[in-house]
Amino acid sequence: MIRQMLSVLGVGLALLASVPSNARAQDAPADTTLHQFLRGLSDSTDSYFGLTAAPLDTAGLDSALVAGLEHPWRGPRTRTRFSYGPVYQFSRVDGTLWGASAGLSNRGRRLYLDGDLGYATGAHQWLGGGSLGHGHRRGDVYWYMKIGGSRRGASMDRDNEEMRIATIRALVSGTDHQNYLRREGFDVSLSAQGSAWYSALQCRDVVERPLDVTTRWNLTDHELESPTNIAAAHGRARELGFETRMRLPVLPLWGYLTHQTADKAFGSDFDYRRTRVAVGGEVAVGRHVSFLPQLAYGRLGGDPIPQASFYLGGAHSLRSLPSTSLGGTGLALARLDIIGADDLLALAHIPHPAMFPLQAGLFVASGAVWGADPFGGPGSPSASWPDKNAWLSEAGGSLLYRPGIPDDDGYFRLNYAHPIGANAGEARWSFSYSRALDLLRPF
Amino acid sequence: MSFLAALFAVSLAAVPPPASGPTLAVEDTMHTEVPEVLVRAPRVTLDEILDRVARGEARRDSLLHDVVFTATLRVVRGASGDRPAQLLQETVNRVYKRKPDHVRSVELRRWEIKPGKGGNADISFSSSTEEQVVNFAFRPEARRDYRYRIVGRDLLGDHLIYRIAFEPRSLIGAGDPGGMVWVDTRDFVIVRQELDFSRSPVPLILKGVDRVVIERQQVDGHWVLRRLLMRVTLTIPIPRFGRSVDMAIQFDDYLINHGIDEAFFARGAKP
Repeated sequence: MIRQMLSVLGVGLALLASVPSNARAQDAPADTTLHQFLRGLSDSTDSYFGLTAAPLDTAGLDSALVAGLEHPWRGPRTRTRFSYGPVYQFSRVDGTLWGASAGLSNRGRRLYLDGDLGYATGAHQWLGGGSLGHGHRRGDVYWYMKIGGSRRGASMDRDNEEMRIATIRALVSGTDHQNYLRREGFDVSLSAQGSAWYSALQCRDVVERPLDVTTRWNLTDHELESPTNIAAAHGRARELGFETRMRLPVLPLWGYLTHQTADKAFGSDFDYRRTRVAVGGEVAVGRHVSFLPQLAYGRLGGDPIPQASFYLGGAHSLRSLPSTSLGGTGLALARLDIIGADDLLALAHIPHPAMFPLQAGLFVASGAVWGADPFGGPGSPSASWPDKNAWLSEAGGSLLYRPGIPDDDGYFRLNYAHPIGANAGEARWSFSYSRALDLLRPF
Repeated sequence: MSFLAALFAVSLAAVPPPASGPTLAVEDTMHTEVPEVLVRAPRVTLDEILDRVARGEARRDSLLHDVVFTATLRVVRGASGDRPAQLLQETVNRVYKRKPDHVRSVELRRWEIKPGKGGNADISFSSSTEEQVVNFAFRPEARRDYRYRIVGRDLLGDHLIYRIAFEPRSLIGAGDPGGMVWVDTRDFVIVRQELDFSRSPVPLILKGVDRVVIERQQVDGHWVLRRLLMRVTLTIPIPRFGRSVDMAIQFDDYLINHGIDEAFFARGAKP
């Protein structure tokens, strides 16, 4: 059997020799000074890593290989992992949601199954969902298909959904300004990811319903800063969409394009075409400061329903405005973030735990929404560019903390934003979590 | 030759010894002259070297059709105080790869200090022989993401080795390391790499990545991975791992381009 295997492999008897063939290669006299040089560096590495770099004890490996090859090959050995955990959410529309989540994942087979279920005490409904995903790597491209179904509360602002921080804001001080709707139905997506690009096709069939405010309490007994919730248009949305993100040639920028179409021809109650394009990138100056310019532009054509509109306000757009303060069927936004790479506390020689490096940032931004107003206001003409009076601008600073998880470039931010120019609002403090290039969809 | 002869032809001029005390010897040689040579050939630019490294790495990979090796994954709790370093896990696999997309591994040993407790590292293998862990910063598509500089050139026998340092351009996040590679200009292949994380990639958990060393070895004329070693320090001690953890993957017993039959990778196949 062994000889047959060896002949299949074309290996020869050296494999079964008591002295591994590697030893033969490594113990052979060095043919050049290069090998002696590398061996010298390796010796230094050995002494640094000690036990970790100790040579492998090969006793028993040959017989283990013989035994291992006796069994039929059943594919890569993979382990299915089970995970579970609690689910907690709080919002003024669903109230407290208690529940649990569970998942099965097999990284070797690239199969992922997860689900969660909870009871919303404000809306008196069971909410949750599940999804099944399967990945496949072909060359440098990773393909991923996902099928999911759910009944959940979702943010009216499709571009910036911030559920965890919104829960903290709503629970602690009643300062959650996001508007919500209920989505229930199914969605399917197929995505492909390369080293410098990402593209996805999406299809979904969901019923969208408006939600009322059901819960007005919070831990600090403050009045709700946003006591109402915009009413979503009720109906079935059957939608086809795609999105792509790629690196732009020559420039240190990434481009992002997303488009969704809902049409009565698909059986949808709504008829709209929603397109958003964004460009952003990082320009590092030296080793201490990064400039992050970002631009976004969006248009909604067809039915101007609130759940497909564009919104302005919050950490992801204008930080001097509360989340989703203004809306329209058109969006234009430009922002420049400047982030210092150094730890402020270390620079100030203030002793602190290594896990809490604090960084400083500055930002300046200007944005506008126009067209039909989802809040019921008179709105403005649905042109391709906003009136100059619609622009709101701001400047400010941030203290940033990067935990490194769940996103490599995600920051907790304490922001101070001051309106400038025609923006008649007030200066505003806010706390948020966002990725550095948050107008672009992450990979 | 005349330069060497002059170098070793050292003469010492003896000074007449004083009446007492130490003797003073004065050296007035070590002088030689070599003719000036005007070098007219253009110096190889850094860009050209990077191009050649990318081509050299691609060529290295293209010459590998099938590879067999033994991979050892080792996790070691770092020494602290009087407590010596302690092996937590060792997993040994025999791995068979055949291009374009065949891979098979046979587990030869799995040792854990606390079996079945979970939290153990797993290792999986792809069919690729590109060794991106070595050349990730020198692939053509990565050129825009890093700054490079030549740190030094070493003449080792008949090999010229370039030491090239690289650092990520991005300052947001810290997942991409910088470091230094040793490039053998005979094949323009990376023969050694040391990585350096200027900031912790995950500050909440890792205080820092102290050292990462990636070594290659030459087997049957092909440069292939020899071992990858990493030491990290944690921000807070974790019961099983302590404050410092080493991880290493060692690659031994290579067999290269010996011709593995495709049937060897068929599911349900026995040798």
